Amino acid sequence: MASPLISQYLPPDIDPTKVSIAYGRRALPKLNEELNSPDLLTRQRALMALCDLVHDPENAYEAISIGCLNTLKLLLKDADSTVRHKTLEVFYIMASHSVGREGFLKNRIILALAPNLEDPVLLCRRFLHMTYVRLAQVPKGAHAIIASGLIPYLVKKVQIEVEEIKEILLDTLYFCLQWDASQALQSDAVPILHEMLFSLNDVIRSKAARTMMALCMPRDGKKKVWEYNVIPILVSLLNDSNIDVLANAAGALMFATVTTAGKYAALDAGALPLLMNLLDINVVKVRINAIKALTMLAEAPEGRVELLQKVYKFKELRRSSISAISRAATIATKVIEWKP
Amino acid sequence: MWRLSDFFLGKEHLIQPLPFYYFKDIYSEDLEIDEEPVHYGNIMYDRRVIRGNTYALHSYPPSTQPDPVELQRQQEAKRKALARRRAREHLRPRSPEPVEGRKHVDVQTELYLEELADRIIEVDMECQTDAFLDRPPTPLFIPAKTGKDVATQILEGELFDFDIEVKPMLEVLVGKTIEQSLLEVMEEEELAELQKQQQQFEELRNLELAEVQRLEEQERRHQQEKERRREQQLQQLQKQNETAQKIAARAYAQVYLADLIPSVFGSLRDNGYFYDPTERDIEIGFLPWLMHEVDKTIEYNMVGRVVLDMLIREVVENRLNMFEQLAVKEPKKTLPDNKDEEQGESFTIGSEQFAEEQESLPTRSFQDVPPEKDSFQMPFGDNLDIFDMKESDVSEDKEP
Repeated sequence: MASPLISQYLPPDIDPTKVSIAYGRRALPKLNEELNSPDLLTRQRALMALCDLVHDPENAYEAISIGCLNTLKLLLKDADSTVRHKTLEVFYIMASHSVGREGFLKNRIILALAPNLEDPVLLCRRFLHMTYVRLAQVPKGAHAIIASGLIPYLVKKVQIEVEEIKEILLDTLYFCLQWDASQALQSDAVPILHEMLFSLNDVIRSKAARTMMALCMPRDGKKKVWEYNVIPILVSLLNDSNIDVLANAAGALMFATVTTAGKYAALDAGALPLLMNLLDINVVKVRINAIKALTMLAEAPEGRVELLQKVYKFKELRRSSISAISRAATIATKVIEWKP
Repeated sequence: MWRLSDFFLGKEHLIQPLPFYYFKDIYSEDLEIDEEPVHYGNIMYDRRVIRGNTYALHSYPPSTQPDPVELQRQQEAKRKALARRRAREHLRPRSPEPVEGRKHVDVQTELYLEELADRIIEVDMECQTDAFLDRPPTPLFIPAKTGKDVATQILEGELFDFDIEVKPMLEVLVGKTIEQSLLEVMEEEELAELQKQQQQFEELRNLELAEVQRLEEQERRHQQEKERRREQQLQQLQKQNETAQKIAARAYAQVYLADLIPSVFGSLRDNGYFYDPTERDIEIGFLPWLMHEVDKTIEYNMVGRVVLDMLIREVVENRLNMFEQLAVKEPKKTLPDNKDEEQGESFTIGSEQFAEEQESLPTRSFQDVPPEKDSFQMPFGDNLDIFDMKESDVSEDKEP
């Protein structure tokens, strides 16, 4: 019987798990059709091929313009977990591109992705959350996520999900809360994050501290953080060994101590000496957060008294090469040496 | 060789003893002996082939629209033939049906067995393309090999130098691979770089945000402080104002009321609210009584004078009348009248009195009046009102 293959062996670059890609302009439309096919195997293989193609932003643009997103939306509800996880991977890769993000916002993908929060397969959820993180890193995306009202669900999920996903979720929350933290504050994010600050996992602690920092930015957040007695915990985190944890804890303190109540809470918890230790660490983020936190504390008379003895350290830092550090140090010295 | 089968000698068919085709009708499950098998015959004697004139023949209509009558007749003929065959079958002697568990089989019964070599083995094959498959690509046409075989031997180094020839190919291969891997790595690096930049930006942003919030807070506190101080200051000023006003008001009131008491006392005194009781008593009680009495006395005085005047007038008139009468009647005497007596008395008294009165009018004392009053009667009771008037006139003059 005649067969199109001439040789007995398959050509070296054929991947049996992928469907063959048509030539030129026909590639993506054909893939789109194959994605709609009732045969499971075809769909899976088409998805694998699509995954590879979408790494190129031009292909991503074309895919979105021919309406692949609607097909993919349907596939999200597929019964087979491989299909779902590959679909989510495609979404994730598309979210890395700016065109992809634009397409998401236009086609209301965020809400379409929401039911997959309950997906039983870990891999699917992981890709879903990674998509959300990528989306949230852009202001428009963060605003869209906030506007879709997903924040309360995400906060609940942070409590109950596995660790791997918690990390990603905390990132998403951090990026979203920087813009508008009111929804999260209403859904009791502060106590939940409070618990997570005790976690044994370094990454979770640092990310929880970072999210706490974002929560402390609005005034309501600061009040709530003080009410729930989070400040002493943050101060205790300053003893931690992980650099990220230190940086983020200092950052959270920096925002929480803007109010007078926060300042005194921090001073009572003994934040001053710990923050001074942080100044010696040569990581930019740690240093600037520590300097800022100390500046806040220096506005209180008790803090100022103690810090006056250590002004020389700030003066040294003024000569630092990084402009942010030197500026922060200048402001700090000014505040410490201020006389009424 | 005999066959245990049947020959059909029909008028229509002339069969030649051709090899036996065991033809299985694929469209029916089992071979129906009743049905007419298709026989192959000589084409020369096939009824369907038209011989001779073709222009005046009774031509069959084409198979599309067979004449219904014709059709019916044909069917009838077929049925009849079938029926005839069936009848003949019935009458033909057959071998009985096989016993249970056995089967009839054809067997050669001659002396010498003959190989049935002319039995053609038929196999049914069919071929049909899938209805909706795409036409597969045509296989490469490789023509049969023709010609002579010739061999040759290639020694090493004659044809090509592998190392040189392989270079461009290798370059392409390696190039493509590296290109692909570079793309992937670049993508990752790009993402990592973006992340890093974003982190830096975030740090700065957080820093600035914290600074802004701190300054805001400071401002707010200062504002509050200022507000409080201003409030305090305002209150103080207000209090000061109030006290100043109070003091001013007090001073003014004091000044205003300073000479209140003296003036009050003065005015009271002026209005006679402070009085010596005896003096008052004298003024209120005594003096009016005194004046009243004085008034009365003078009134009496006046009344007396008036009365006196009247008396005198009366007397004078009477005297005049009398004198006139006397003048007329000299001897006549005055009538014994009370009046006359009185008049007589009064003449004397009156005249004396009159003279006295004329003399001592201004020097008359009070004590003289009452006896005069008692001594005479008022002759003219009717004219008391004249007296009253005169009294009032007099009293009016005399009153202070």
